[in-house]
Amino acid sequence: MRKVFLVAGREFIATVSTKAFIIGLLIMPMFLGVAALVFPRLLNPRNFKTTGEVAIVNPSGKAAEDIRLAFSQERVAERRDALARQVMNQTPEAVRQAVPAERAGQMTAVATAGAADLRLVERPAAADIQREKTWLLEPGEPKHIALIVVHDNAVTAKDGEYGGYDAYVPASIDDRSMNEIHEALQEAIVNARTREQGVDRKKAEAMVRVPRGKSTTVTRDSERSTVRGLNQLLPVAFMALMFMGVMTGGQSLLTSTVEEKSNRVMEVLLSALSPMELLAGKIIGQLGVSLIALGLYVGMGLAALVSFAMLGLVNPILVVFLVIFFLLAYLTYGSLMLSVGAVVNDMREAQGLMMPIMLLLTFPFWVWLPVSMSPNSAFSTALSFIPPVSTFAMLIRMTSTTPPPWWQIWASLGVDVLGVAAALWFASKVFKIGLLMHGKPPNLATLVRWARQA
Amino acid sequence: MNDAVLLKSVNKTFGTTKAVTGLDLAIPRGALYGFIGPNGAGKTTTIRMIMAILFPDSGELSVLGHPSALEAKSRIGYLPEERGIYRKMRVGPFLTFMARLKGVPESEIAGRIKKGLARVGLADAERKRCEELSKGTQQKIQFIAAIIHQPDLLILDEPFSGLDPVSSISLREMVIEEHDRGATILFSTHVMPHAEQLCDHVVMIHKGQKVLDERVADIQRRYDPRVIEFDPLDPLADLSPLSGIPEVEQVVRTDRGCNVLLRVGASAPSVIPRLAIAVPPARIEIARPTLEEVFVKLVAA
Repeated sequence: MRKVFLVAGREFIATVSTKAFIIGLLIMPMFLGVAALVFPRLLNPRNFKTTGEVAIVNPSGKAAEDIRLAFSQERVAERRDALARQVMNQTPEAVRQAVPAERAGQMTAVATAGAADLRLVERPAAADIQREKTWLLEPGEPKHIALIVVHDNAVTAKDGEYGGYDAYVPASIDDRSMNEIHEALQEAIVNARTREQGVDRKKAEAMVRVPRGKSTTVTRDSERSTVRGLNQLLPVAFMALMFMGVMTGGQSLLTSTVEEKSNRVMEVLLSALSPMELLAGKIIGQLGVSLIALGLYVGMGLAALVSFAMLGLVNPILVVFLVIFFLLAYLTYGSLMLSVGAVVNDMREAQGLMMPIMLLLTFPFWVWLPVSMSPNSAFSTALSFIPPVSTFAMLIRMTSTTPPPWWQIWASLGVDVLGVAAALWFASKVFKIGLLMHGKPPNLATLVRWARQA
Repeated sequence: MNDAVLLKSVNKTFGTTKAVTGLDLAIPRGALYGFIGPNGAGKTTTIRMIMAILFPDSGELSVLGHPSALEAKSRIGYLPEERGIYRKMRVGPFLTFMARLKGVPESEIAGRIKKGLARVGLADAERKRCEELSKGTQQKIQFIAAIIHQPDLLILDEPFSGLDPVSSISLREMVIEEHDRGATILFSTHVMPHAEQLCDHVVMIHKGQKVLDERVADIQRRYDPRVIEFDPLDPLADLSPLSGIPEVEQVVRTDRGCNVLLRVGASAPSVIPRLAIAVPPARIEIARPTLEEVFVKLVAA
């Protein structure tokens, strides 16, 4: 064991002392931080301005004034402002508190800046619609972005039914422009309808609106405002943490093995220790590297929860199971990646053999939503017993709103342990043969044959 | 058991290729053995089997009295043909790592590294990264790593490949020092003059089979081709009197003189004075066959 730990120590220090590792470790939180700062700005509505001409054919002539008003820049800005406030109101309390009041005001002000420059082109009531459609396709500035034909019964119901409008648009129109046009038309038509019926629109809207109730999450220790969406975010957050941990160590296992092989240092090492000691040392060393990455990310996540006073929302036992499932996943995927590293001559050759492993490793990202939404479906349950995907699947189920029964958790752990044993057995066979082989790398079928023959 | 390495009827195949066939080999403790043969003869495969990196399909194997080198790795020094080094590591930590793997007592590691580096003229290289060193210097570091634990058995696979003449001489001296210390040495090469200069015993293999296993001096004696190299004092001298000596079968002209081939049964020491009387010589010497010539002869046979 002394030699195993010597190799493990060298692997660990050689990996964590490189600039690439330190940068790689910090790049993910940095990316998330930058994304949190930059994405809202990139997606900010102020960056999009609806510009162009909208032709209106309104045979009944009703609601004409309402339409003009609803398309005015001021009304478009007011609607955006209302939307921004609504989004703020739905934001978790802790996040809202973290944003200063004046900043929140800025956000809504920013959202309403330069909202739209829509020009209404009113067409005769008896306009030929087919001819008007050709107008849409005419080039020029400002662009022709929509032809709206208001139904006769849009304002006054016929046979008890209200109509609406038909919209004709060019192929290049942006969905956001269409939304802007729809909201303006909806406002105009509802205004006209309520006025015609002698109803006060504001009162009517107030009557039909029921504010969402204040939700409080009750735990054994305390009560706090419910954070909507957290239950959906928790599975994907745990899955991502495990993925990053496995990838950090697994990737290092692959690259360090390929490097040792291409540097021809393998045989020097094999003069001092057995292939199994080398394999075990490498896996243990890179496990330490993975645990550093996982520890850092989990620590940052917990720190974020503490700062938003949401720590109590995560069951500590889930963190324990995160570590357990991580160990099982790392040993399985790490063994497979190590095998690939042992049989190729350089990283380029590794890509082909890594493809199936990466597909397996990223598979949970494709299925996390159905698994977390229906954690006890037949599909989710079956996935929990198919290693190595089972490690991710069971963790997603455990962090969902309806965790699986305990017997399934223990049974899944048992299956995972068998999966680890199989992966280590495969790796030990392939590693021993592949280490000293150079030249054309073997394909998957050859690897399986080696494992059976060795 | 006096043999450091013992192989009995060892066979190894890779797929349909027979790499080693029925190989018997006994290397006594303290010997300096050359393991020679052309590229692809099976030398490296045999060495890897001795090192328990590969395992024979059949046959018996013993290393330092153990059935497998795995049980004696801390007593074996090995410089493989495909030797490498951790390029990003510094020389000191690399040698420390190798010394620890080989079981050198912690208190002795620093001293042995300093001594080893000083021995090869690299006393100031301890803090350098391995990638900063030339190939020859890296090879010296690798050699230090192979002997840092003062092994009882030192196996060197093509140790001189890629070395310049000065480094070759330096390495050869270190090999001899290890031998003088008492280590058993087995080194393989396809450059036969290297074995000729260094070894007292050679094993020659060809296509996985042993074709020769003998002391160098005995080989040269046994394969003496009865040729005397003769350079006349006067380059323009008439050499026909040499053909008149009864024991001389043939005189073949060379650039600087001629090669005199004696008849079977003729004694070179008795013929040489008569050659010197017939034509005054500048140089007269019994031609000794090289291992290369012996090898060609054996393979051709």
